[in-house]
Amino acid sequence: MAQVQNEFSVVGRTIPRIDAYERVTGQAQYTGDIQLPGMLYARVLRSPHPHAKIVGIDTSKAEKLSGVKAVVHHGNAKIPWSSGGHTHPRFIFNNPVRFVGDAVAAVAATDRHIAEEALGLIEIKYEKLPYVLDANEALKPDAPKIAPEGNLSVGKGAFSAPIEESWGDLEQGFKEADRVFEDTYITKHTNNAQLEPRVSVAKWDAGKLTVYASTQGVSNARTDIAKDFVLPLSKVRVVSKYMGGGFGNKNQAQDYDYMAAVLAKVTNQPVKLEFTREDDYIGMHGRWASEQKYKIGVKKDGTITAVQLDAVTNVGAYRKQSGNLSGTDFYQIPNFRKVIKPVHTNTVVGANYRAPAYPQSVFGFASFLDQIAFELGINPLEMFQKNRIQKYKSKTPFTSNYLEECVIEGSKRIGWNEKWHKPGVMGGAKKHGIGMALGGYPFRPGLGAATIRVNPDGTAHLLVGVTDIGTGAKTTMAIIAAEALGIPLNQIQVTNGDTDVTPYSVGESGSRTTAFTGPAVIAAAEDVRKQIFNLAAAQLKVKAEELNLREGQVFVKADPSQNIPLERVVRNAGELIGRATTNPALKDVEGKSFAAHFAEVEVDTWTGQVRITRYVAAHDSGTILNRLPAESQIKGGVVQGIGMAFTEELITDRVTAIPINPNYRDAKVPTHLETPEVEVIFIEHPDPYGPFGGKVVGEPPITPAVATIANAIFNATGKRIKELPITPDKILLALQV
Amino acid sequence: MEDEKRGKAISRRGFLKGIGGGAIGTAVISTGLLNSSSAEAYAPESVGGTRSKATVTLKVNGKSYRVEVEHRDTLAEVLRDQLGLTGTKIGCDRGECGACTVIVNGRNLYSCSQLTVWMQGKDILTIEGLAKGDKLDPVQEAFIEHDGPQCGFCTSGQIMSGKALLLKNAKPTEAQARRALSGNLCRCGNYNREVAAVLAAASKAS
Repeated sequence: MAQVQNEFSVVGRTIPRIDAYERVTGQAQYTGDIQLPGMLYARVLRSPHPHAKIVGIDTSKAEKLSGVKAVVHHGNAKIPWSSGGHTHPRFIFNNPVRFVGDAVAAVAATDRHIAEEALGLIEIKYEKLPYVLDANEALKPDAPKIAPEGNLSVGKGAFSAPIEESWGDLEQGFKEADRVFEDTYITKHTNNAQLEPRVSVAKWDAGKLTVYASTQGVSNARTDIAKDFVLPLSKVRVVSKYMGGGFGNKNQAQDYDYMAAVLAKVTNQPVKLEFTREDDYIGMHGRWASEQKYKIGVKKDGTITAVQLDAVTNVGAYRKQSGNLSGTDFYQIPNFRKVIKPVHTNTVVGANYRAPAYPQSVFGFASFLDQIAFELGINPLEMFQKNRIQKYKSKTPFTSNYLEECVIEGSKRIGWNEKWHKPGVMGGAKKHGIGMALGGYPFRPGLGAATIRVNPDGTAHLLVGVTDIGTGAKTTMAIIAAEALGIPLNQIQVTNGDTDVTPYSVGESGSRTTAFTGPAVIAAAEDVRKQIFNLAAAQLKVKAEELNLREGQVFVKADPSQNIPLERVVRNAGELIGRATTNPALKDVEGKSFAAHFAEVEVDTWTGQVRITRYVAAHDSGTILNRLPAESQIKGGVVQGIGMAFTEELITDRVTAIPINPNYRDAKVPTHLETPEVEVIFIEHPDPYGPFGGKVVGEPPITPAVATIANAIFNATGKRIKELPITPDKILLALQV
Repeated sequence: MEDEKRGKAISRRGFLKGIGGGAIGTAVISTGLLNSSSAEAYAPESVGGTRSKATVTLKVNGKSYRVEVEHRDTLAEVLRDQLGLTGTKIGCDRGECGACTVIVNGRNLYSCSQLTVWMQGKDILTIEGLAKGDKLDPVQEAFIEHDGPQCGFCTSGQIMSGKALLLKNAKPTEAQARRALSGNLCRCGNYNREVAAVLAAASKAS
């Protein structure tokens, strides 16, 4: 393994982000920092009712307020928002409104305070409709209907539901079991809560729309906008250079981009539409809540023989994404069946948040396996190691799978064998516990594109469509280009995130950037290297195939003393352009990054407070292209898991249907104070299908974190908390029983 | 009508009174970032309607700026929109996240929770004023080396709180650094890195 790494010049090192300087000096220009001449500010008015028909809108008072330039609503701006609802037509303003927070109108004014004041002057008559907040209630036949066919989001195509998956012979599997266990686990809606509030700046120039978006994908944002505004792609430009986080809720184009665009059209002025933090918590989406009913058959030694999962997930008023649960993915299950019902309710939309279908269902499944290990008198380490996945859906091999090594190395680092004790046996008020769980995320390469321009002085521009949402993708692309091209990293300039300039990118979501765009960067580098070698062949009087390029030197492979600096090769070439569109696919194999996490906690049995005293995250992500941001991502994923485990929940008041804590303080995201040092271990074996052997990094770390902590709490207390978040009151209550 | 409008504007700023409640676990915004005492220092004699204006001289990063502001304009808004100093970010606009942290008279403060009219004569330092010419501040350098920014949106605030700490305490312990930064949220969860960077800057400077 070490030998493989030595072959690389740039890959696999610890390299600060190439745009770190801009990020630490305040020079990085985020969407909200953009000021255009004559720009207006916009704000959004939202429904105070969970379900209501709008029977009248009077905007006259708002329009009379000095400084107000336009008010748009469903009556004068019926713009479809395709990515906002995959199963029913959704508009940027809907009638009826279907949850507290559904957008009703938007105002553009000369400053944001005036726009905000104007919201209060819009008079709306609502006719209240019956509503339902709970997913199980919503499935009852007499529940108020949110969608015409009922509240089970039956969907279509990729979004068909119920989501059903099965293999093997379930009945036989349960017959083979020595013991069969059944239980239910519950998780709540949590918000992505990225630091940068949603913001969009739109302007029109002679029929061409430019949107400075805060998006995770400029290409798919452009596609969405062009479709919904009925424009050719050439008349839409989407730009996102610096982006302040999204974790899945800034994929594609969203209603705020559309509202800014329509207000800019109506006023004939550029418009900046800003979400408040409250808008951000209720107006877009968070992670779907779930109720997971498991039936698990095991042998006496803990080996799983069958798993049945029946679940409902709360996707809120509109179906934006799958509503699936995939936490069973990391276990070898010979006989399996799951039925997941995504359900509509009159609540905030539940959709993508970092590893959308995973941390909530890993919490359920890995908690239950940990419980079963306890019932059978088996050490959880043995239970997880025994049942870790070997083949995808029990049949397809993986491109690479070092989950076993993750478990071994992680358990060694935390000292599992010395520290594990039987659950609930510790004396004293503060009890020590240790826990673990398995996780990961699919790795599937796909469509990517890149352009590399080599300048006459031997420096190069890399053009990629990717936005950098904080993963360090821009730096990773530069590293791949430097490695593949054979020039030093500091000779590469990256231009990214501008659909008028940069080529297609899939979008920075689903941990896809390196897997999709990475191969295209390599192919573009190969394309331009051929051109370089053709020029150098004449200069060195050898055949092009005999040449190599490394560290900015073109040389004869068989005799490196015959060499010539790149700038001398290309100085009269004007500009060489390498380009590639690639679409690698996996055939008869499945790709996945894997992880095993371990935590030690101290539970204060007087207060119910839990402190994480040690956290170890062992990851198989193939070759790590750049250690520094890769480790940061692992650490950050764990911290988000900590919030989900202990505190975070968007609470909807049962009586008023109003989300009562749509802000950082009350939704309780983790701070510096409760974050432990997260120790990261990379089990590095190159994956045969990944660019330079790399798999995916961004999403895996959040997947096992919640279950790991929950299992450590069980080990400390001997009490199983089956509902997130695991707050002190739940712990105290459990300890009393 | 005029009164009604003013009422709305004041309620928008209700956070000055309204912030409360504990954050997660034992975390409380503890670093004095919400300095409401300066409210008393400002005599509101020129308050008229919602859009009443005042002229304020701001000293930012060593330079003086004369700006005309509405009474309701926060320091964060004026820094960003009028002075073009957009390194100071607005993450929540309600004194919770710390993305807007600047240093005023040597103390880190949430600039979203300070009215600009309170800033007359005060010494304001923003992220743009940290570097001396081409030479970055040690905290900035350490943030580069230790991968302090992921998405980078909270980074200015983290750096300013780190800087404010080091101004008072050149050799903080890890616990002190965490506490000093605890009013700055990072949803990328890069807390390990940010604390490590501040500690590295401290040890480098000594």
